[in-house]
Amino acid sequence: MKRKGWLKVVLIATLAASILGACGSNGNSNGNAGANNESPAGSSGEKVKLTLWGAVPAEAGPQAVIDTWNKENPDIQVEYVRYVNDDPGNLKLDTALMTGQDADLYINYTLTRLQKRVDAGVALDLSSKTDYNIDDQMGSDAAQWKISDKYYGIPTKKNMAFIWLNKDMLDAAGLPIPPVDWTWDDLREYANKLKKDKVYGLLQHDAAFTATIDGTIAGLGVTKPDGTSNFDNDLWKKQLQTVHDMMFADKSTPEYGEQVTSKMPVDTMFLKGEAAMLSAGEFIFRNANDLTNFPHDFKIAFATIPKVTADQKDYKYPGGLGDVLSVNAKSKHQDAAWKFAKWYADGGMLPMASGGRIPSSKSVDGKQAMDLLLKGVEDKYDTESMNKVVFGQFPSFQLSVPQQALDARKEEYEKYFLNEQDLDAALKNMAKRHQEYMK
Amino acid sequence: MIETNKNLSFKLSVTILMLIAGLFMIVPFLWMLSTSFQTPSEVFRQWFPSKLDWSSHKRIWTGSYNFLPYYINSLKIAVIGTAGAVFMSALAAYGFARTEFKGRDTLFMVYLSMMMIPPQVVFVPKFIMFNWLHIYNTHWALILPAMFSIFGVFMLRQFFLSIPKEITESAFLDGAGHFRIFFRLVLPLAKPALATFAIIDFSWQWNDYENALVFLQSPKLYTIPLGLQNFVLENNVDYNGMMAASSAAIIPMILIFLLGQKYIIQGVSSSAVKG
Amino acid sequence: MKRKSWIQKQGWIGYVFILPNMLGILAFFILPALFSFGMMFTNYQFANPNWKFTGLDNMTRMFGDDQFYKSIKYTVIFLLSVPISLALAFLVALVLNRSVYLKGLLRGMFFLPYISSGVAVAFVWMLLFQPSQGPINEVLRFIGIVSPPGWFADSGSAMYAIDVVQIWFMLGYNMIIYLAALQEISTEQLEAARIDGAGGATITWRIVWPLVSPTTFMLLITGLIMTVKSFSLIQAITGGGPSGSTTILSLFVYKTAFSYYEMGYASTISWFLFAVILVITIIQWVGQKRWVHY
Repeated sequence: MKRKGWLKVVLIATLAASILGACGSNGNSNGNAGANNESPAGSSGEKVKLTLWGAVPAEAGPQAVIDTWNKENPDIQVEYVRYVNDDPGNLKLDTALMTGQDADLYINYTLTRLQKRVDAGVALDLSSKTDYNIDDQMGSDAAQWKISDKYYGIPTKKNMAFIWLNKDMLDAAGLPIPPVDWTWDDLREYANKLKKDKVYGLLQHDAAFTATIDGTIAGLGVTKPDGTSNFDNDLWKKQLQTVHDMMFADKSTPEYGEQVTSKMPVDTMFLKGEAAMLSAGEFIFRNANDLTNFPHDFKIAFATIPKVTADQKDYKYPGGLGDVLSVNAKSKHQDAAWKFAKWYADGGMLPMASGGRIPSSKSVDGKQAMDLLLKGVEDKYDTESMNKVVFGQFPSFQLSVPQQALDARKEEYEKYFLNEQDLDAALKNMAKRHQEYMK
Repeated sequence: MIETNKNLSFKLSVTILMLIAGLFMIVPFLWMLSTSFQTPSEVFRQWFPSKLDWSSHKRIWTGSYNFLPYYINSLKIAVIGTAGAVFMSALAAYGFARTEFKGRDTLFMVYLSMMMIPPQVVFVPKFIMFNWLHIYNTHWALILPAMFSIFGVFMLRQFFLSIPKEITESAFLDGAGHFRIFFRLVLPLAKPALATFAIIDFSWQWNDYENALVFLQSPKLYTIPLGLQNFVLENNVDYNGMMAASSAAIIPMILIFLLGQKYIIQGVSSSAVKG
Repeated sequence: MKRKSWIQKQGWIGYVFILPNMLGILAFFILPALFSFGMMFTNYQFANPNWKFTGLDNMTRMFGDDQFYKSIKYTVIFLLSVPISLALAFLVALVLNRSVYLKGLLRGMFFLPYISSGVAVAFVWMLLFQPSQGPINEVLRFIGIVSPPGWFADSGSAMYAIDVVQIWFMLGYNMIIYLAALQEISTEQLEAARIDGAGGATITWRIVWPLVSPTTFMLLITGLIMTVKSFSLIQAITGGGPSGSTTILSLFVYKTAFSYYEMGYASTISWFLFAVILVITIIQWVGQKRWVHY
């Protein structure tokens, strides 16, 4: 009896599955929200449903943004889909974009990703849009996002990366807030003076680890005049050498292997006072402003990501603009999507300022954004350095190097920081492997 | 047989030894539980929470994180998929183990070889096919392929092969057809194998991230592995939430394991037929 | 002879058993595989509509790619985990089948890694292998090894550390399949041997091991195939690093396909992988007559 019962369950489940399977395929094409999407956009009175894809978690601002929009625009309802900005996450977005369904708007975070989408024909060419002047609204940095001299998306926010300083520790060591044009030698000295037992002088977040060498190559040019890779330049050599010395000679920053293998939570450590300086982006604001989960009583000041040498020409600071909002060229509701895009860029995105995303449009009142960012925690920041560094203007860049070459570069400098090859070999290999990906 | 004292103490010391080894196996599980009760600033900094913080466990069932829909979706996919895979695999395994037809072994080799293609290079054709079948962005894009498990066919074939031929043969001589032998004789005898395959297949489908990632697009269809990605923030990870959700996610797999174990132990008595 | 006759009588019935499954395999495995075989001769990049046939370019590129050869080396090291994990799992299954109390609990504990969160597994093993203060190196130093390896922080030893984790991870999986196989061995067989005066080791080696050999054969073949394909554990622990030293072939394929979108090249590497495993599998298939007893 028991035996039969068990078999029956399997049998019935399988049968049910195959029957449902047959119906499911029909059921979906009728019952799906797709039915709405297929109706022509222009016809008046029809409700349009748009989907916006972005990498910011919904509750960190995007949900508030679209709630506001949906209230004001009952005829164009927007849904937010969050994707993770890693390889699989971007693949997911690209797959969705190809179907042209349920992916009308999306936000790009790097130039290489945008380039791929332009190649795939899923980024709407915005040069035909006469009702919105991106250069005018967003300023001169926007042009870094042009591809073959055309815009395929609106850069919407100010990108920022800088050194977060524990001002109390600086004060205790008698160090002033560094000038904006400081160098890695200065930083090394600071780190040396600031390090204590169980307190690192400097921590570097993964996302900012290559900020200086990226800014350097952006100024120097990715290739030499003769067309070969410039990955073996002397400025890189000096910067990598400095970081290496800080790890192994000064011990003012964690050794590379140590940091990677212990999954050091650098932001937590900085906010707990276990490091005096932290090199990272604006994303730290979210935790730094969260005094419940990350209680701290010191003041935070800011410095720029230093350049390599004092006389370095053309150094570019990580920054510029980011969060490039594109319209899917395969979307059936491009006009509605474009309407949303303009609204988003010109202030609709403001609720995201509390997470550190400062709108770049000149139509947005900068003070309002800053208030959102610092509401209730003003006394935790040093206003002067914040204005100078966080809201300052610096020559910036968007890196355009194939991902393969960047990954190869990482492998080679990793070997150097793990003491498995010397610096000259690392640079030589970087240049060689970069060369292979240049076609 | 009466166990002697010597046997008893031997068994006891082996048990203790295995328990110690077992502890070593469950450290990550313990870390997961511990982290789920920690506060954000404690993660990676200490092994144990300073005090039990239930907020992450509450958080994952409410508000924008709400895990319940993911849970239901995953259950639906894994239960139907596993049931289908067990039945379909058993059927084919019997065909490969207990019937003879032209090209059987070649066909089996083709089956096996299809296990060797990495899923990353077939997702484009699958995507095109699912679009054409109108099952892209539905749960069937996961369930249907899951019902065909090459591993299951191979595993069950091996178990069916080790059922003594005399048993099936005498049933055949008594006038039973292949279907009767399959349902009445082979399936009951292979219960431990079926249960084991079900446990493993369920855990695969429950944890399937890649297929869900590529073939499910609407958040309302998301499964648990996709839901877990919500805790990957922009430049850091909400480990408390992720581990709280992972703790909840492991429960069905443990239940299936316990349920399956019951059949494996039951199998001992029924296997007396053999020999 | 008699057997042949009753099977031959219903020769067609085999197809009936296999047909439903075969349709699925055809649709979800064989057709996509053929498609990817075709991609091998193109420069197709995912989502990019501009592609053309490039003949054997991908193959030329593969055989000239340093990364490819390195990945093969790492894959071979990774595969060492398969037989070791099998052997250990067999022993654990033997013990947990009879000679312990708390069978259910212990089986559960050994199976738990296989269903644990990958993030948790990765983090705990990273701590265990931590070069300066990790318990593993503490022990090594204690027994007199002055400079133990850096494990995940050293490209020479990272792959071996991955092997250890993989063996640990696969133990429970192999164990429960062995446990299922052990259930099919009847008590009478073992008792008979014991009465004949055979010791525990003899019984295990002469009776139990041959009786589970079909399972061992299956686990060995599928273990090799699945291990060659699997990379999620590596992805969670090292992401292929440090400096690429744990980028096994499947991870290389994954990166080529999912990060760089080079589907044509990824297909080429995959089909190379396919050919190699197929040859190994056929050799094992032919060789099974020597040691697998049905």
